Amino acid sequence: MDERPISRALKLTAAAMFLLLLAPLLVVLPMSFSGDAYLAFPPSSWSTRWYGAVFKNARMVDAFFVSVKLGLAVTVLSLLVAVPAAYALVRLRPKGGGWLLALFTAPLLLPTIVLGLGLLIVFASLGWLGSAWGLLLCHLIVTLPYALRMLVTTLSTLPPAVEEAAATLGASPAVVFRRITLPLMAPGIMATSVLSFLVSFDEVVVSLFMTTPKLSTLPVAMFHHVEDRADPMVAALSVLLVALTLVVVLVVDRTIGLGRAFVK
Amino acid sequence: MDRASVMVSAPSHLGLRGLTKRYGSFVAVDGLSLDVAKGEMVAFLGPSGCGKTTSLRMIAGLTPASAGEIVVGGRELSGVKAHQRDIGVVFQNYALFPHMTVAENIAFGLEMRRCSRAERTQRVAEALRLVHLEGLDKRKPAELSGGQQQRVALARALVIRPSILLLDEPLSNLDAKLREEMRNEIRDIQQRLGITAIFVTHDQGEALAMCDKVAVLNQGRLDQVGTPEDLYERPATPFVASFVGRGNWFEGDACGARVELPWGTLAVARPCTGRARLMVRPHRIRIEPQRLQPPAAGSDGEWNTLLGTVERVVYAGDLVQYEVRVGAGAGANAAVTVERSTGAQREPVAVGMPVSLSFLAADTLVFGNGG
Amino acid sequence: MTVAAAIAPTRPAKTGQPVATTALTAATLLLPIVAINTLGFLVPVFNLLLMSMRKVEASGALLDAWTAASWLKLFVDGFYLQLLWNTVRVSALITLLTLLASYPIALYLHRSRGTWRNLLLVLVIAPLLTSAVVRTYGWIAILSDQGVLNAAARALGAGAPLRLMFNEVGVVIGLTEILMPYMILSLLAGFGRLDPRLEEAAASLGAGPFAVFRRVVLPLSLPGVALGSLLAFVLSVSSFITPKLLGGGRVFLLATEIYDQAIVTLNWPLAATLSIVVLLVFGLALAAYGRVVRRIG
Repeated sequence: MDERPISRALKLTAAAMFLLLLAPLLVVLPMSFSGDAYLAFPPSSWSTRWYGAVFKNARMVDAFFVSVKLGLAVTVLSLLVAVPAAYALVRLRPKGGGWLLALFTAPLLLPTIVLGLGLLIVFASLGWLGSAWGLLLCHLIVTLPYALRMLVTTLSTLPPAVEEAAATLGASPAVVFRRITLPLMAPGIMATSVLSFLVSFDEVVVSLFMTTPKLSTLPVAMFHHVEDRADPMVAALSVLLVALTLVVVLVVDRTIGLGRAFVK
Repeated sequence: MDRASVMVSAPSHLGLRGLTKRYGSFVAVDGLSLDVAKGEMVAFLGPSGCGKTTSLRMIAGLTPASAGEIVVGGRELSGVKAHQRDIGVVFQNYALFPHMTVAENIAFGLEMRRCSRAERTQRVAEALRLVHLEGLDKRKPAELSGGQQQRVALARALVIRPSILLLDEPLSNLDAKLREEMRNEIRDIQQRLGITAIFVTHDQGEALAMCDKVAVLNQGRLDQVGTPEDLYERPATPFVASFVGRGNWFEGDACGARVELPWGTLAVARPCTGRARLMVRPHRIRIEPQRLQPPAAGSDGEWNTLLGTVERVVYAGDLVQYEVRVGAGAGANAAVTVERSTGAQREPVAVGMPVSLSFLAADTLVFGNGG
Repeated sequence: MTVAAAIAPTRPAKTGQPVATTALTAATLLLPIVAINTLGFLVPVFNLLLMSMRKVEASGALLDAWTAASWLKLFVDGFYLQLLWNTVRVSALITLLTLLASYPIALYLHRSRGTWRNLLLVLVIAPLLTSAVVRTYGWIAILSDQGVLNAAARALGAGAPLRLMFNEVGVVIGLTEILMPYMILSLLAGFGRLDPRLEEAAASLGAGPFAVFRRVVLPLSLPGVALGSLLAFVLSVSSFITPKLLGGGRVFLLATEIYDQAIVTLNWPLAATLSIVVLLVFGLALAAYGRVVRRIG
């Protein structure tokens, strides 16, 4: 295959733009080791005190566990809701299935600020503001469109003939689903889980409308913290979060193989 | 007597009555009625879109029928779900379970029937022997060649001892050599087990070579069902005549047992009136240099003789094909293909040579308004 | 963000079951998602429409009466017209800058191969997996008076600090970078039409590298440019976290105003009205996109 050499001008410009793209993350890393009491560049001293501060900050630690528990719950629920829905849309093909899929995808198109406000108003009238279940439902709204689209894609790439073969061999629809469809969907389900978890874990705008000082997610707690003051603690926390995300993605990729879910 | 008889199931008689499938206003299968005797293998033959695969899927219960009945072994199957029909199916792309080993694939149907583990192991081993795949039980489908996958698909369908076996173009993804090999193997197995089978294909050579009877489908309708010989020698419709085997077609006005063509008159096998189409098989035509005497009418009946010029000679190994242009100078002419077995032609014929073509009136197939 | 795609027309169920049971099974399986979608999406959005016309007291208490007061305020009070104009203007600027910054990266990615390309793609997508707060915070560290840029400016001998935060400049810079991954991916998808052989053909006909770019590469990449621009524009109009943090409450855009009216002032009808304005801006942007795409062909 003939490889066109890439012009130097393009290489240089692209490199410069890449630097721009990665600038915030590149800056946050050294800042997290700053020994100063406030955000200043360059730091006058180096220290790991801010990493320690993260773990000692009760609000952040509580918020972290809320985000993790919420993320896990939302992931499980997303799967429980989206897998049957995907199966219905792809295999059973009801009338108006196309419209239904468009409807279920629509929340993706809605700006989170609008969705957040809408949910705030409705939940306030229902008395669900500040409740864990309300927060759970809100996150579910946000993650479901991603989960559904991903699972619909996964199912669409499974040839129906394999399921039909199982049926002709005597497997009832429930058995076909359990023994054939579900195992073959596994890589897609894994990828969907990771995506749902990360989307929920990072969700901030809708959560802002839904949280109270008593019940807060990590991104919201970080937002309020940064609103008040900018200190290197958030830098340390950011580095930890990026590392955590990387680890989650890598571990899942090694054990299940995320590549398989995307490259069919 | 041998291990194959252990696997023989109770073969069934299959009957289709007015089987129909409609998609909105489009009719994919139009009132298909057919009977298959026990132990017979019948081909559903036709071009793409003729409804053969749809019919197969309706028998298997994978596509609901719009109308009609399906009777297998005296049991009417409308309303019976696919997983309760006890029918073995071999799919076009094999549809093996990619996440299971060969042994697990084959054992799946037995698991559904709640066979004990010991019985499963034994029957899977038998099935592997039947298709000559011993030793491959632990492989996954992705590690097998196309031919091997096909055999696994066959074993998987047969191990459950189904009442009938359905095969949906199982050979179309194999290369030519392998196709012929598998053709014979499948036929052998089917005959040894005595299992009733339907074989869907668009390849008329396959259908004629493998099956007891062939059903030709044309746009959802059954044009003709009969033995390969029936279809070849006595096609019921022009479609069957042109789909099964090759032919030279002529069209003209019939009057009694004669058909008027722009460049001559031909004597045909049976009388009819009005516009008629007639066909002559390429290998029923004799080709001789014009200087020789054409054959005279005798005990076989009247001979037709056409004069023409050889345009092309194609050597195809076991056959030689001659393309001859007849009727030149009469305004309308036609190209006629003649086939002779290599070595059967006594007088040499070359391109550009004026020749005479002769064929018996009895060897013509006429389609028109019967007289 | 993904745009909902039209789905193929439905056909009858392919299983052996009669159609009626299949419809019932499908309905049962779809019930949970329909319920959640209704309660969490349809009802709130529809309710916003209603809320925009409710009467509200200064205390924030909602009255059971209807009024067009919020809508009138929008047109009569110059502040809100200015707000709308600011939002559209800033978003358009951000879109343009994002396009200019992303195009070289996308083009380079398009022309590179193998593991290097995959690595770079991961670097492009990775920021999308972190929360907006983390990404905005990074920009605070760069743009603030004690940040990286000012440290560099001081080193170069600048007298007064560059004011890059708590104003539009900071918001534009930060949001431009944050939206780059979306633009890059859109451009890459659009570059699919680019065949290196076309560029070679142009070169062989005598076109220099700039001419090749202007006459071959650029026109063919326009669909990707259009899609990326639409995406960047709508994301920018609805962006909240970054303008709020980098603007420090001194940059007034639609999204920040919605939040303030809802949480601080407790004027829900006005907040709802502004939300619908955001949706209308979306609709117009989409319509414009449709026209542009049809013109490109």
